[in-house]
Amino acid sequence: MSDRAKVGIVLVSHSAALAEGTAELAGQIGGGTVIIATAGGTDDGRIGTSIAKVESAIRLADGGAGVLILPDLGSSVLTVRTLLADPEDLPEPIAVADAPFVEGAVAATVIAAAGGDIKAVLGAAEEARHARKL
Amino acid sequence: MPESCEATVTLTGDLHARPAGALAVAAARFDSAVELTVGASRADAKSVLAVMGLGAESGQQVTVHATGPDAREAVAALIGILTEATKVGG
Repeated sequence: MSDRAKVGIVLVSHSAALAEGTAELAGQIGGGTVIIATAGGTDDGRIGTSIAKVESAIRLADGGAGVLILPDLGSSVLTVRTLLADPEDLPEPIAVADAPFVEGAVAATVIAAAGGDIKAVLGAAEEARHARKL
Repeated sequence: MPESCEATVTLTGDLHARPAGALAVAAARFDSAVELTVGASRADAKSVLAVMGLGAESGQQVTVHATGPDAREAVAALIGILTEATKVGG
């Protein structure tokens, strides 16, 4: 299943540095074969979220197998929901993960790298809620 | 009747984030269920977070157990990764 197009990942954070650092970590652990696009901060570089950044990240991450979006907190979720309420000519399928940001990004990237479909990648991200680290 | 296969390897390095990722990516490509055992701890090899949660270190024995149609191939692939990837560290 590794020959098919892979699900892309979009990381939505209030902080550009947090989104980029998480993308770097997940990319390293996942072996670097998955597109991980980031939408961090506002359009003018402050802490916050941007619909325009999320939209362009979705287009960047789409490789034909769909896109999984991971929002960090609060208004990241609202921004994603607002955009997806009117998904005109966005790629399909798109799923939004209810998952811890770092663990969800790492788990989703690994399953996307293995060629998992959008349902499998979403499942991996959401299972990360139950992963114990101690 | 699903095939079952098992093998054990002694780690030459710690099972850190990057080797755990390589292992989980490889495991998730197989149809078989694949489990790792280190001492008293077990993990689904397809879950990178569970594999990292094992905290397996150099010198420890890791047993790979697979059940399913490609169990032999899965065990061979994962033993290879456990032998090679943990040399690099992560």
